Amino acid sequence: MTEEDLSLMVDQIMDVLTYPPIQKAALACILCGASCSLLSVFVVLMKMPLIGVSMSHAAFAGAVMGMLLGFNPFLCGFIMCLLAAGVLGPLSDRTDIAPENVLGIMFSFLMGVAFLGMGILTRTKAGALNLMWGSLLSLSDSDIAVLTVITAILLLFIVMFFKEIRYVLFNRKLALAGGVPERFIYYALLFLTGAVISSNLATVGGLLIFALLVQPGATALQLTYNLRHFFLISVAAGIGSCVSGLIVSYVFNLPSGASVVLMATTIFAAAYVFSPKRHRRKKVKECISYEYDKR
Amino acid sequence: MNEHIIELSGVTVRKAKGVLLDGISLNVARNEFVGIIGSNGAGKTTLLNVIAGFERFEGELSLFGKPERWKRSRETRVRVGYIPQLFQIDPAFPILVSEAVMTGAIGRVGLFRSPGRKEKEKAMGLMEMMRVAHLLDRPLGQLSGGERQKVSLARVILQQPDILLMDEPTANLDIAVQKEVLNLINEIHQKENLTVLFVTHDFNMIPAGMKRVVLLNHGKIVFDGDIDVALSGDMLSTLFQYPLETFERDGRRFISYG
Ligand SMILES: Nc1ncnc2c1ncn2[C@@H]1O[C@H](COP(=O)(O)OP(=O)(O)OP(=O)(O)O)[C@@H](O)[C@H]1O
Ligand SMILES: [Mg+2]
Repeated sequence: MTEEDLSLMVDQIMDVLTYPPIQKAALACILCGASCSLLSVFVVLMKMPLIGVSMSHAAFAGAVMGMLLGFNPFLCGFIMCLLAAGVLGPLSDRTDIAPENVLGIMFSFLMGVAFLGMGILTRTKAGALNLMWGSLLSLSDSDIAVLTVITAILLLFIVMFFKEIRYVLFNRKLALAGGVPERFIYYALLFLTGAVISSNLATVGGLLIFALLVQPGATALQLTYNLRHFFLISVAAGIGSCVSGLIVSYVFNLPSGASVVLMATTIFAAAYVFSPKRHRRKKVKECISYEYDKR
Repeated sequence: MNEHIIELSGVTVRKAKGVLLDGISLNVARNEFVGIIGSNGAGKTTLLNVIAGFERFEGELSLFGKPERWKRSRETRVRVGYIPQLFQIDPAFPILVSEAVMTGAIGRVGLFRSPGRKEKEKAMGLMEMMRVAHLLDRPLGQLSGGERQKVSLARVILQQPDILLMDEPTANLDIAVQKEVLNLINEIHQKENLTVLFVTHDFNMIPAGMKRVVLLNHGKIVFDGDIDVALSGDMLSTLFQYPLETFERDGRRFISYG
């Protein structure tokens, strides 16, 4: 390859990278992947996938209703999320009712509301389907701005309260007893969950976002015992899913949301297969059975 | 010396299902070691939850001479340590033994500051005392139950509490490990000048330091006094509504379950 070829190639790459729609798509991937995957650490480690599902349903239903009534869908989704958080937070603090039942009832109801709205909307507005599937390629500037602010707040929250977060993730009751502002951390987290989910209605949509709230964290769970690395691996998996999903969708002409979710699952599967934790556990088991054999 | 550091008067906890604690009055002096005994559902955990600040209640509670509600300051919370019954933790959960012990220092250092070298050295010393120092870089979830309870003790002592609340800390441990953990609890009770409330079911596994016992039944205190009186066959038979006999051998008390 001559120097000229090389510089030509660099030029071409630069052309692609400076092409505004591509820049915007890359930014969208980074923001969507980062915000969802940071949150997924909490969803996975606090074992609250059900809360994730309910909140995404609430956001979706809120946004559809907002669109139907002519309000800002993001704002309506966010308000619905906050309402859902207001119900979910105290609910998970109570030990005398099983939250699963209430959550089950709540999110099936919200789904009903959402689909009712969708039924009315699809007859009148084509844009409604976007709330369901989202689109990494057609974000507006304000979508990007909102997503940037929310991702930044989430990141700041995690960095500032890292040691408290570690304690709360480990055990909420012990954290409270240990003098950590456990309720502040927990409710801030519910609030941020609502914000991340509703702002990502535009990127991956209300139906598929749940995958991005679980897969990156589940991927990290296969790979590390270090909480810092856990966040980093999760973010890498999240952004990786979005970028590779978008490329796959472009190359094979597939819907972008679905491709992103499939890539997230592929990354998780790879992490599961190559998990050093699994091998380590297997080794421990071998040692134990070996010791029994010796007796 | 004999000031009361825990004072409850008329403490009542109501839930939709009924009254869990019914007008509890109890005073505990500094450095006392009090056992709380009662049948399942008697309200032992609820009583600890009130003192630890996990549960709303009616009536009065003072800690260190100051009235407290269930909401309270960080300063008060760090002075009350809590050890729960052995709980499940995912073996894959990302926390190492040393990190779990260090969480004990978080409340005291406060927000936006990290525990320093002093705390780290203290944590190391405590892990040695609890004989878990060799496990320090193992994931917590992969320890045995006994090892995890010893880590729990190291964590709570790093918090430097004045009051230590323990809810059946030795349940589900095997006999040798129970004895070891009880001895460690005795050791820290003396060394750290702690006031201890200790919930238990198992009369044959009473820590040596426990001199006073509170018997709870249906949310009420039915006896409060010397351990030898509390653990007499008659008293326990009525409490548990099950024939129990106590006898002594080599200066130790044994309880036989009819
Ligand atoms: N959140 C709650 N809401 C309603 N009832 C409750 C709640 N928590 C506990 N109870 C009930 O209150 C009673 C006292 O419970 P508590 O946990 O204090 O008993 P305990 O003495 O610790 O029992 P155990 O020995 O089984 O641990 C029980 O009958 C229990 O069913
Ligand atoms: Mg109990």
